[in-house]
Amino acid sequence: MKVSSIPNERGNVLLCAICTIFIISLIAANVLLNCTARYNQASNQVRSWNEALYAAESGGDMAFAEIRKTLPGTSPSPSPWTGWTNSGTTYVSPVTGTASLPWTFGSDNLQAQTVVETCYFDSLGVFHLGANPTGAWPWYRIRSKGTSPLHGLKRTGMDDRLSNGNRFVANGSTRGDGDTLLRKIDFNYDHFIATYGPNGDGTGKALQAVSAPQIARRIELIVGAVTPFGAAVRVTTSFDGPGSAGLIDSFNSNNGAYYFAANNPSDPHYKDSHSGGVAVNSPTFFMHQGPIWGDVSTNGGNVLPSNLIHGVIDNNVPLTIDPFDMPSLPTPQPSPVAFNSNTTITPASPGSVSAPTTYLVSSWTKSVTFNQSGSDQTYVAVHVTSDFTGQVTVNTGVHVQVYFDGNMSVKARDLVNNTNLAANMQFYGIKPANPNTTQTIAIASPGNFVGTLYAPSADISFTGNPDITGSIVGKTYSGNGNTTLHYDRALDNVGVPTDYRIASYVEDIR
Amino acid sequence: MKLTHHSHQSGFTLAEIMMAMAIAVVIFAAIITASIAMQKSFNAVDHYFATHVQQVRIIDYLNRDVKRALICTTSVDQQTVTLTIPNYTIESNNASSSEASNPSLFGTMRNPTMSPAGQVNYGTTTNTVVYSINGASILRTEDPKSDGHPIVTTIASSTDQLVPSTTDTQLTNTEYSTMAVTFRPIFTSGNVADERTGTTVFSLAYLRNKRRG
Repeated sequence: MKVSSIPNERGNVLLCAICTIFIISLIAANVLLNCTARYNQASNQVRSWNEALYAAESGGDMAFAEIRKTLPGTSPSPSPWTGWTNSGTTYVSPVTGTASLPWTFGSDNLQAQTVVETCYFDSLGVFHLGANPTGAWPWYRIRSKGTSPLHGLKRTGMDDRLSNGNRFVANGSTRGDGDTLLRKIDFNYDHFIATYGPNGDGTGKALQAVSAPQIARRIELIVGAVTPFGAAVRVTTSFDGPGSAGLIDSFNSNNGAYYFAANNPSDPHYKDSHSGGVAVNSPTFFMHQGPIWGDVSTNGGNVLPSNLIHGVIDNNVPLTIDPFDMPSLPTPQPSPVAFNSNTTITPASPGSVSAPTTYLVSSWTKSVTFNQSGSDQTYVAVHVTSDFTGQVTVNTGVHVQVYFDGNMSVKARDLVNNTNLAANMQFYGIKPANPNTTQTIAIASPGNFVGTLYAPSADISFTGNPDITGSIVGKTYSGNGNTTLHYDRALDNVGVPTDYRIASYVEDIR
Repeated sequence: MKLTHHSHQSGFTLAEIMMAMAIAVVIFAAIITASIAMQKSFNAVDHYFATHVQQVRIIDYLNRDVKRALICTTSVDQQTVTLTIPNYTIESNNASSSEASNPSLFGTMRNPTMSPAGQVNYGTTTNTVVYSINGASILRTEDPKSDGHPIVTTIASSTDQLVPSTTDTQLTNTEYSTMAVTFRPIFTSGNVADERTGTTVFSLAYLRNKRRG
């Protein structure tokens, strides 16, 4: 037998190298594919979930903008609720981000739809839908739904790092883990409508197919009017006070007359005594030796903690107080047209908060007494087109709002408030026609003042030792050594709205 | 029988074979080492991505609850966060007496009420949510249900030593919470602290409600 040799056996090294590279490439491709799929899908879900909230909050913002258009004295163009569907006191926005209404948020085709319902709280704090039968300023409930499309593969959350393995299980002690409960994805059907109905109240549950995978988030906002007050002193330019014999604190006239309770935690009125806050929209804050029982905020100031400030100090709080325009009031009574002699007024009808009995007078230099109309709470508004230098007496059951175009210079004893409620005597300083003119309000002793001053364009000063119960809003505030100021927390919801605020925010995470 | 002698039949010498085997061993050692190194590297990348997803989940959970909270309190060690949240939906454990008499209301939305102090409330009680670390797990614990069991959700669980750190800053009317979540990657090069710092994911969320505490 002859054994032949094959002299040219070559190429096995190349083959081995190729096989090795192939195997390693397979490993790499597998891992990279796994990583990429996981990361892409997870990032898509995270992005969509967060963007759905942006869309929902944007819907809420648009509704809020429409509500602000309804403020007294504003005449926006277009008028409120243009393009919305109205049914009674409920307004429904169009669905944004559609072909017919391409209001998109960014480039991800987010959608939002918002329902705004007019509502109110009765005297017991119970919620009701519709307009307030007392004529008080309305509240609004905003429900906004934001929807974000979910791109990529139909995969549930990438929570395979969780070790206990029950992330898709619901039972008495756990409702699942990881992404399952956080980012609820509608792959084929809208889970919310299927489980809770379109309005979330359990009615109308149905399997509603979605055209593409999506994530939806829902928020509910309660919006109420911003009333002019809310702190003892709010000024735009400077604050100076209180002196060594003065103080600033608070109480709530709904719980009885004022007495000092701020240093007694066991006193039942203690909780209402620390709301005598001071807010300044500038760094200029001069404090003397009198205590402030409330929060202090400035815009760029350098207020430091001290044993005289019994609240939170924040030196980085912008405060916006717009100059005050004369609001729209009902048609004034034909007479009187000036208060140049002592006068007693008993309105023929009691009026209401939003529709008071109105008088337009060219001057007010003498004493005017306002009486109740019958036994009803009586609402009166007076517009003085010049300075206020007279006297006023507000008797029990009467609520008086005085709007003056000029300055105010009186003794505190000239402002007699027999109701002893600050909310029943309100003074509003209308912004001067010339913006370079500074309005002045000067109240001197003797006497005390129970009422409110809202004059964002005015320098407000108290001299002597008046005891003030109410709230002050102005350009500057100066209270000399003996001036005391007691903010009445009953003012929190009183006065002509200057804006609206979001009083509550909740997310429906079902 | 006569055997034919092939005078030109060549072979490998022992030295050649030894040399070839040595070269082969080196080559295969290099290939195996490279394969193992690549596998470890890819595994580390996979692990990094997966743990990063957990970081984001922790932050998303916290952000969602902070935004809708009334009060946010952080422990001194910054690893336990307690949140007070409105009871937006009627449940058996937060139902008033009138709501409890109508079980069909469970799971539905609750109308708000107004307190004498002007606060908008949902129900007479609030819901407490606590984020905490338990061993290798990060837990979200809600108020006990009517059966007495708290509702526990494991939002992250691993041996990656995920460490969330949260602080809350109170301002006059609002409050914000800052969160940083780190983990220890498996491909540390000796300086574990620096490696952990390099994994930090940071987030900040404001309370949407006026703070109440």
